[in-house]
Amino acid sequence: MSNFGNLLLAGITSGAIYAVFAACLAIWFRVANVLNLAIGDFAMIGAIGTAELDQYAHLPLVLAILVPLVASGLIAWGFDWLVLHPALDSGRGHSGIVSVFFYTFALSFVLEGAARLLFGTDVHAAPALWAGPALSFGSLHVERAGILVLGLAVVVGGLAAGYLYFTMSGKAATACGESVVGSKVVGIDAHRLRRQIFVTTAVVAALFGVVESPLTGFTFSSGPTISLIGVVAAGFAGFRRPGRAVVAGLLIGLAESFLGGYVSTSYNEILLYTLLAVVIMIRPGVLGLATAH
Amino acid sequence: MVALSDEAPVQPVLAAADIAVWYGKFQAVESASFEIGPGEFVSLVGPNGHGKSSLAGALAGVVARKGDVRVNGRRIPSANPIAAIRAGLVLVPERRHLYPNMSVQDNILLGRYSRTAKRLARNAWAEVVGVLDLFPELADRLAQRAGTLSGGQQQMVALARGLAAQPEVLVLDEPCLGLSESVTARVYEALVKLSATDVSVLLVEENPSRALQVSTRVLHVNQGTIVEVA
Repeated sequence: MSNFGNLLLAGITSGAIYAVFAACLAIWFRVANVLNLAIGDFAMIGAIGTAELDQYAHLPLVLAILVPLVASGLIAWGFDWLVLHPALDSGRGHSGIVSVFFYTFALSFVLEGAARLLFGTDVHAAPALWAGPALSFGSLHVERAGILVLGLAVVVGGLAAGYLYFTMSGKAATACGESVVGSKVVGIDAHRLRRQIFVTTAVVAALFGVVESPLTGFTFSSGPTISLIGVVAAGFAGFRRPGRAVVAGLLIGLAESFLGGYVSTSYNEILLYTLLAVVIMIRPGVLGLATAH
Repeated sequence: MVALSDEAPVQPVLAAADIAVWYGKFQAVESASFEIGPGEFVSLVGPNGHGKSSLAGALAGVVARKGDVRVNGRRIPSANPIAAIRAGLVLVPERRHLYPNMSVQDNILLGRYSRTAKRLARNAWAEVVGVLDLFPELADRLAQRAGTLSGGQQQMVALARGLAAQPEVLVLDEPCLGLSESVTARVYEALVKLSATDVSVLLVEENPSRALQVSTRVLHVNQGTIVEVA
């Protein structure tokens, strides 16, 4: 029973991580109709950047966290300015959207390559924000970082839901993904909203990288795996529904945990790619071909 | 320049001069000039492919243009729909372009976005709920997804969304395109109600006899040029 409980807690914790990345993907897809395949790489920047600045540059922890977050925001803003804006707003319509899918893929490669050059291939972890041994409740054990991850996931999820469902700006963001012409005729600045959400989700991903890295550790190549899990979870939610993406992320985390605990951890990747195949079959728009009219 | 009629006030709400629209090397609108006075209901008629919708899009800033467009004397830059809306010119586009997976309420609410962008949706609704007076049948369907409505109901939502912006000039582009005769009649009932309001309307309509039911003036477009006034 304790094994089940611990696997459940571990599954919820890793599921919360997946849930947040899935929600970030879904929110941006909701406004832009394109998947951001570099979302995991922003988490990598947050985690490795903080670790390096803390351990080697000896910056105060707050600064060591803030610098990578700001850097992630600036990279996202620059990418939007240099690539996304010309690609999505040039009037090329459908082909523009397909191109952008590959552009975010390319951004992932660039960030991965730059991280390898700058930080090497070692595993990095940002300092624990809540240091100490795992908390025990009877026979159940939960890492403190896991509690932080869960708490942050709840806060971010709540803020995202509040923004999308209760503010005019959030509704406008959704409208951009629903109809390009429809958003223009009511005066929505689609580019501005898209950029704001792209930058915000990049910073949130970086923050999650900082918080979760004591649990998982990060290398220069951790980003694509995180992005892929996010894509799978968001795919089950039709890419547009952050709330359902969160649930799907949690379920994937639980499935991974129980599969690893009761069968073997070596099946985790098989599980992930099987789920991806299912997503591609039931949601062929996964490649960014689904577009607003 | 097609000027206002003798009865119309001197100061036009909408003044368009020498409007030209190009798509690459193809010229859709050659040189269109006209004015609309306060509260006027003007129709723009003509065959398909002669530039009516291009002209409507150019006025509203969703299509790039040459020439001068002014709303109450305020110049609207080309290809800038936000400036057009802020000046009071709102387009209800051909084929409606609603947000199909959003509720009817959200669709109407977003019509007011240009003035409520930083507000909570709940507070903004109070400013637009009045448009339901013109379309009472939508009141029971506010929570329904717009994409699940019939074509006629969707057109009502598109009109309500346009009116939610509280426009000075409403440009309606082919509101009955693809609708059955009975549904078209229902849409025209709504347009008759609209013609009784203070809003100036430019109706783009392929069918002249239909346009005459509601219009105070009819402009005829031929080969991208406004050639006559009925």
